Amino acid sequence: MFDEYIEKVSHCIEEMRGAGAAIAVFDRPGSPDQLREGLPVEVGPNANPGIILRGDTFLELGNPQAGSCAALLWTGRPSLVRDGRITLLGPDIQESAEASLPFAQIVMVGGEGLEQEDHEKLQQAQHVSDQIEGYMVRSASQSLWSRVSKDAAAKGFDFETLGTALIGLVKGGVPKVSAVEVLFVTTSKEDVKRLDEVVSGTKEIGREILKETWKARGYDLDCDFDCDSCTDQEVCDEIRDVIVARRKKTEREQDAETS
Amino acid sequence: MDRDAVREKSLARYKQERDWFVLLREGTKALPGEEGRLQEKLLTILLESKETVVDCVENEKPFIAGYFCNAPELFHAMDLPWYMLMETPFLAATAPYLASDIEGSENMGIGTDLCTAIRLPIYYIENGLMPVPSAVLGLLYPCDGAPMLHQVLEHNKAWQGVPLYGCDPPYTSDERAVEYFADELRRMADFLQKHTGKTLDMKKLVEVCEESNRSYTLWQEYNELRRSVPCPHGWEIGGAQAFAISQCFVAGDPRCTDWFRQLYKCGELKVREGKGASATEGWKEKIRLFWFDIMPYGWIFELMPWLEEEWGAVIVMDMFSNFPYTLIDTSSEKTIFHDLAKRNLLDAPMIRQARGTAENFAGDIRRIVTDYKIDCVIWPGHMGHKDGAATTGIMRETCRELSVPFLHIGLDLFDRSYTSPDEVRGKVSEYFRGMGLG
Repeated sequence: MFDEYIEKVSHCIEEMRGAGAAIAVFDRPGSPDQLREGLPVEVGPNANPGIILRGDTFLELGNPQAGSCAALLWTGRPSLVRDGRITLLGPDIQESAEASLPFAQIVMVGGEGLEQEDHEKLQQAQHVSDQIEGYMVRSASQSLWSRVSKDAAAKGFDFETLGTALIGLVKGGVPKVSAVEVLFVTTSKEDVKRLDEVVSGTKEIGREILKETWKARGYDLDCDFDCDSCTDQEVCDEIRDVIVARRKKTEREQDAETS
Repeated sequence: MDRDAVREKSLARYKQERDWFVLLREGTKALPGEEGRLQEKLLTILLESKETVVDCVENEKPFIAGYFCNAPELFHAMDLPWYMLMETPFLAATAPYLASDIEGSENMGIGTDLCTAIRLPIYYIENGLMPVPSAVLGLLYPCDGAPMLHQVLEHNKAWQGVPLYGCDPPYTSDERAVEYFADELRRMADFLQKHTGKTLDMKKLVEVCEESNRSYTLWQEYNELRRSVPCPHGWEIGGAQAFAISQCFVAGDPRCTDWFRQLYKCGELKVREGKGASATEGWKEKIRLFWFDIMPYGWIFELMPWLEEEWGAVIVMDMFSNFPYTLIDTSSEKTIFHDLAKRNLLDAPMIRQARGTAENFAGDIRRIVTDYKIDCVIWPGHMGHKDGAATTGIMRETCRELSVPFLHIGLDLFDRSYTSPDEVRGKVSEYFRGMGLG
């Protein structure tokens, strides 16, 4: 379902790279446990138990005013995804103290058995909540806006760390996943906006998947009751005809009076 | 009752309500510290808003009646005073006359299955207790009950002839829907200009929206503080007040931003000190609750303090404290109306959940439970929220997936006689015990 978007994102990145954007590539394949090893911060449930206050923030990513975009694209064809690949376009965390960077995070996920029923869980996996020490994703429903703490930055937290942690969390959260690739863009608001446009169609696909999966469980998210499906349509049509006839009659009478 | 008689009677009631808040504000002066000042500031904003309406009625100046999701930034930019048609149940449900008003509405023969928040204004209109405005903004969403109120005011002698406009809400939530609703808001602004004589100055609207953005930014920042364990504030401070300040009085006013600044200051101080909602010696936060509806304003003092003291249960988040908003892009008239449309069609509480498809019932629970470390979700099951009643299964399933207990009570948020506070406390206790939370 998202295959064409995975290709579109790759194409967009090549174009940005061609335009001279600084690029860094890391390869971190492995199991969730292997991925956690050697990271400068803790990763896992409740790894970031507190909140990161403004005064304790090293930098912000994806403030809506700076630009924000997030998407998780999954496919049943793992060959479309380069497992463990972390691509960063733009400045890294360590070189951006006190900054508020534009931020795009695209997570591409492959797994042979992945199905629509995994969609909601996968979507949730990209919002890491309290699972990465020194990294807090703010509670916003429509964008990805996060903070890195000064303490985490001092320990060496960077996009390689974030990408590795994310890959591990997605793999650990949804066992059917066999390949995860992460893309971060921090170059400019325009680049982030461009990527957002590329993936904008995925939101509607996601909505439709949600409707279908809930329906399969016996719940309707959507109200599909309308005039076409109503058994009283005939009565309504008749009432409308009466209203039209009355209006015409009134107009005729008024015309007669004025003439 | 003709319009003159209603004018006198409604003014007397409106002043009575104002005086109730004056009394409450006096009480806040005795409260210690920064949080006392916070409550005082809120009540001052509320009272000034009420005073303005009194002045309009007394001196025959234009003012309107409407709702929080009618883009109140537009009213402020037009310098147009307003009050909310459901003001008493939403903002003044603690007033001493509420129970007799509910009884009065029952005696009128209005169906008791109609939401009390709608029944009450019907009673006020029919009994001349609500000031007759220059124009009315109706609400055609999220529920079918609200338009009943408009039917009543259209047929009431004193209200007959008051121009009425209702924005048409699309069912879908895509870009086309937002643009359609933006046009509806434009038509609403034209309607207000025509019937009140006020003008919409775009320069002023930009200023108001920018100020509103400052308020909303602080609100979001404050909500992050509520994720802290223990939560710095409970039901009494923050949450629902933030909604009232940002959407119910003078949206986009520097005094509102100042209130949010004070709110953040109070919250941050408590987070840094590791203090929770209650100041009682030895008190500990034990249960973090998500109350997925309006607070039970009609009998709030009989439930919320008990929850905190008896069970250490804190309302960390509720439907009206939730922050799904985005800021308004003030770069052009088009972006302003677009973003106001988004906020008022897709983000405003109740509207967000009950208009259109039901995905936000599940999505909001999913995000809030995770982000705010929620231990259990309570869907109060307000008798008026029949839209929500239809989605209880979706909410329950979502909570099961998240391994978080879910409770559906069944009550009236305004009328304590529907399910008595004793009964509610009993159900909640049984639930906490059964789930091993207490």
